Amino acid sequence: MARIGVDVGGTNTDLILETTERDSIGRAIFKHKVPSTLEDQSIAVMRGILELCNQAGIGKEEVDLIVHGTTVATNISIEHNGAEVGMLTTKGFRDILHIGRHKRPHNFSLHFDAPWQTDPLVRRRNRIPINERVLPPHGDVETALDEAEVREAARLLKSRGVEAVIIGFLYSFLNRDHELRAKEIVQQEMPDAYVCCSSEVVDVMREYERFSTTAMNAYIGPRTSFYLTHLSSQLRENGIDAELRIMQSNGGVATVESCCERPVNILMSGPAGGVIGGHYFASLDGERNLITVDIGGTSADISTLVDGSIKIMNPRDSYVSGHPVLAPMIDLITIGAGGGSIAFVDEAGGFQVGPRSAGSNPGPACYGRGGSEPTVTDANIVLGRLDPDQMLGGDLKVDRALSEQAIREKIAEPLGLSLEEAALGILKIVNNNMALAIRSSSVARGVDPRDFVLMPFGGAGPVHGPALAEEVNAKAVLVPPAPGITAAAGLLTTDIQYENTRSLMCDLNTISDQQLERLQLSMDSLESEVREQLRNDDVSEEMMRISRIAECRYYGQGFELRAEFPAGAIDRIAVNQVIETFHRQHEQDYGYCFEGAVVELVTLRLIGNSESQKLEWPPLAAAQPGDTVDAFLYERETIFDDGSARITPRYDRSRLRAGQFIEGPAMLMQHDSTSLVPPGWVAKVTPYGNVIISQH
Amino acid sequence: MNTIKVDPITLQVISGALDTIAEEMGHVLYRMSFSSIIRESQDLGAGLFDLNYQTICESESTPMHIGSIPAYLRGIEQTLQGGEWHEGDVVVHNHPYYGSSHSPDLAVIIPIFHEGELIAFAGNTAHHIDIGAATPGLIIDVADVYAEGMLLAGIKLYEKGKRNEGLAQMITHNSRASTQLIRDIEAQVASAQLGVKRFKELLTRYGKDTAFAAIEQLIDYSETMLRQRIAAIPDGDYRAEGFLDDDGRNRETRLPVVVTVTVAGDSVTVDLTGSADQTPTAYNVPFEGSCKVAAYAAFRMLLLDSYTLETPVPSNEGSFRPIKVVAPKGSIFNPIFPAAAEARFTQCNRMIDLIIRALAPVLPERVIAGSSASISFASYSGLKEDGDYWVFLEVNEGAYGGRPRSDGPDCIDNLMANTRNNPIEDLGMHLPMICDRYELRDDVMPGAGKHRGGIGVVKAQRVLTPGFITHESERHYDVPWGIFGGTDGAVGRTEIYNAANPDERTLMPSKFSGYATQAGDVMAYYSPCGGGYGDPLERTPEQVREDVLDDFCSLEHARDIYGVVLSEAVVIDADATQRRRSEMRQRQAISA
Repeated sequence: MARIGVDVGGTNTDLILETTERDSIGRAIFKHKVPSTLEDQSIAVMRGILELCNQAGIGKEEVDLIVHGTTVATNISIEHNGAEVGMLTTKGFRDILHIGRHKRPHNFSLHFDAPWQTDPLVRRRNRIPINERVLPPHGDVETALDEAEVREAARLLKSRGVEAVIIGFLYSFLNRDHELRAKEIVQQEMPDAYVCCSSEVVDVMREYERFSTTAMNAYIGPRTSFYLTHLSSQLRENGIDAELRIMQSNGGVATVESCCERPVNILMSGPAGGVIGGHYFASLDGERNLITVDIGGTSADISTLVDGSIKIMNPRDSYVSGHPVLAPMIDLITIGAGGGSIAFVDEAGGFQVGPRSAGSNPGPACYGRGGSEPTVTDANIVLGRLDPDQMLGGDLKVDRALSEQAIREKIAEPLGLSLEEAALGILKIVNNNMALAIRSSSVARGVDPRDFVLMPFGGAGPVHGPALAEEVNAKAVLVPPAPGITAAAGLLTTDIQYENTRSLMCDLNTISDQQLERLQLSMDSLESEVREQLRNDDVSEEMMRISRIAECRYYGQGFELRAEFPAGAIDRIAVNQVIETFHRQHEQDYGYCFEGAVVELVTLRLIGNSESQKLEWPPLAAAQPGDTVDAFLYERETIFDDGSARITPRYDRSRLRAGQFIEGPAMLMQHDSTSLVPPGWVAKVTPYGNVIISQH
Repeated sequence: MNTIKVDPITLQVISGALDTIAEEMGHVLYRMSFSSIIRESQDLGAGLFDLNYQTICESESTPMHIGSIPAYLRGIEQTLQGGEWHEGDVVVHNHPYYGSSHSPDLAVIIPIFHEGELIAFAGNTAHHIDIGAATPGLIIDVADVYAEGMLLAGIKLYEKGKRNEGLAQMITHNSRASTQLIRDIEAQVASAQLGVKRFKELLTRYGKDTAFAAIEQLIDYSETMLRQRIAAIPDGDYRAEGFLDDDGRNRETRLPVVVTVTVAGDSVTVDLTGSADQTPTAYNVPFEGSCKVAAYAAFRMLLLDSYTLETPVPSNEGSFRPIKVVAPKGSIFNPIFPAAAEARFTQCNRMIDLIIRALAPVLPERVIAGSSASISFASYSGLKEDGDYWVFLEVNEGAYGGRPRSDGPDCIDNLMANTRNNPIEDLGMHLPMICDRYELRDDVMPGAGKHRGGIGVVKAQRVLTPGFITHESERHYDVPWGIFGGTDGAVGRTEIYNAANPDERTLMPSKFSGYATQAGDVMAYYSPCGGGYGDPLERTPEQVREDVLDDFCSLEHARDIYGVVLSEAVVIDADATQRRRSEMRQRQAISA
């Protein structure tokens, strides 16, 4: 059972291969990294897979499963090169997608951009109004669907070469007949088009968000499905008949077919792998409360995991490229802070870092590729926290003098600081920016970071770990064994997962027998849909795990919170339990609950998953006397946050074994990552090769 | 006096922390609240304030609230129950002659004590849907401020931590939407308490002296940023004027708005002398809590445009300091007690639009053409089966004028307004109302120009049961101007008709109070469209063709105003276009 995880990042495509006793080479784990090919991600993916098999010495045919984390869908939305989409919508409401929520993104600006108007998912010319009308609150039909208009519209869109069509009618969450019939007609007229209905993509109330999600699905649909099916056939052509599974934004994996149908579910495929990987490595050593910080070149993805569970974002908060997307996504915050973030002094003398980034081209000043602005990486070089001759194990050549020059000219001299003070300032500010995001993802939600370990990964993560942990008062830093491939490894540790929603609005406190019956019926039908999807993915009934969630609010509120149904029949006892759970959730999120208020159910959500085989990361052998000496590489000067310059030993992390202690100041060196152990801190190697760095 | 100089790094750290506190306060308030005007529209503001009532930080919610709370605090100082602050006090305040923005915007203020000493305030304001005014929701045509509903001044809802149940009961019995009112006040309390907690954590971390030194420096920083930009404007007096439709009662009397901006060095004065006298209705602007705030907002959006700035300027007192506002006592911008002053938004928005216009000759790359610069604030109400009221407040959008580098955005809250709409479907599920139309206006063309004006909205709301509508709007007469060769936009319009008889339409004035509706009555609102920026002949034929394809522009408009000749199949006739454009240029030259 050989399995490969392949994660595409902005700079590198990371791969991990795990084999078992049943494979020709026995149980082993291999890692590999190739430069990403952003024009077509599949080139690097294929190259990486073939090289990895070669390196491991296994036959291509031995690979059974490939799990893929991809940014292909996200990039389409960022680069605005999706499909030409047409839309059929209720007459009188042609511009729901153009108006959005009529709020502009800036309070104090005359020259702002409204992305939903300047880069629309569906251009106005292709939004065609159709006579039809469904009425609230019961879904009665006021105006029948004008089928002739639908047919004519489809022909018009076809004549314009439109590739994808969405059908978005008002109140379709109450009655989807018109949408489904219109879809049928469109498919008859445009058999090759990518067609979806709003009630199929996301069956919830709120027209703009539902239409926007559906439009995004269609916008990224044709190219995403082309990419995925192309990759599948590439694999087969190269003699690999492994199953291909895709990481979804919710942290579960799904089949290529299902992702082609709902590409909107893989918009956060990339960062999801990191969170899952962080979760996996921490849980090996029993850590259940973590803050993961995945730091790359341009951005950092931050997520907080409480008691071992990965939180899903409130769908009302999930935006992609300025468009609301109601798809389940792991709750994470992405901020513009990474190794390439640029430091500068603004016109009023303010000292700023990011969000602008030098990326990998020109990259930090020290890369010598023409970048003259100082970056976070340059600050780390100047302070001796990264060794210029050890970047990517020495494969990446960098020039410390260029870092010094950039920081001196752009920061130190204008602000009247020494070179070291300026470099320390850059780190302090970028760390603070990340700390604020960490706080908003933790403290702001009632989480006390003092009970949490901070888990920095991605190549650039571990060098920032202690400063971040101190800034947010986390109890310790936990660096996973292979920081650079944490996300790829995460792909081999997650479950198959499908979820569906249904809009069903009623007051839970006064629910009638009839409504209760409808609730049970809706839940049952959601469950059978999800079980069907799992069966299609070869999951047997006994392996299926189902959670049933009520998205509720106090009657009159505008934002829902989740409460889970207990197992078993949906009766009054179960409903009362949901009400109670909702009150507690409200109290946790907002610090207050309205005990006497009526709780309104808005949406039912059913999540089905099946536990997959997990990566088996091998434990380390116990440390022996003398290991530290063997692991010692050399020592150099490093400047720490208190401004002190210390001669700091560097150790080869691959030679450290379980139970080993390293006193700070020290640095632990790996091919693609450096972990910092400041003075007064100690690093301890855990049984599974995580390193816990904490203050004495 | 604090003499510590905080290093630039700590300063940046504290700045970020303050921002986060204000945002968290705003977030809790709108997520928790019950009335759609707070939870969906986010008609609220939240922040921290020092003992001199300077804004330390404020949430990015709605501009009309940003900068208003200091005036509330000054008003509370004059009216504070017992005359003294204690730990655990929570004050509610909405008196427009003691600093409130207008009476429905209730402030909740909590004093922050540090080691037994009063050091700052956490507070917020939020618009409540009904505080027991003469008509449900909104009011315009009333006699005096007492008709606006409950007036709360410096009164403590909590005294030393103990809730004043009598006051809560009194509030409950004086509103048509009492459950929402009292729960939304609780949400305000939760938000302010969070602010107290977070600010205390910050003080523990950095120490009081460092924290306050940093706050002063941050205020100075924002002030410096604004003053530098003011200083770059040539000194002088810049004047612009327009007029408002009427006061909501006297239909034939137009109300002038005259704005004189005096730039002197790095300071500006906005003088509203020459504007209309105060009106006998509620169509007046509280000076402290609204008029001054609008002037601050104008300069912030003109000179510290957050989209074009590389780094945001901290939202604090510094951006208010360089600006002085003058409005004669007894004028529409500075009414004398007990004049009512609830309906004040459209005057404020027009003042901002006119400040922009006044500065056009010296800031051609920063100003924009005339925006709709009004608002449509509608109150729909009726009785439920159980005899209780339902009240729904809706803010409808307008459009921006054309801009130096881009078209004016369509159908969007503009200038001083920045709320979110209420989902049509949510509304239909919960109230006896249904939306019949919500899209771009197609009955008029927006201002033409190198960059066209934004297109206004048409929104038609049908009520299913009898009830009342009050509507506060503007600009049925004074059209948004084009600039630098751009043409004027279009005025607004409001109609009422019954769904059973849609051809029989009553044209309504822009402001009306307590209009009694029958089941099936529909109010259709058409917002003004923005003016154009620059000569329409400078817009490329290709861009005009795109506009025609998207129905932003008709074939006739393309030919008549833009000089672009297109076939029925929307293909550019290059020769005809060239001929027509050169003819039009010649005509322009002659008339010039």
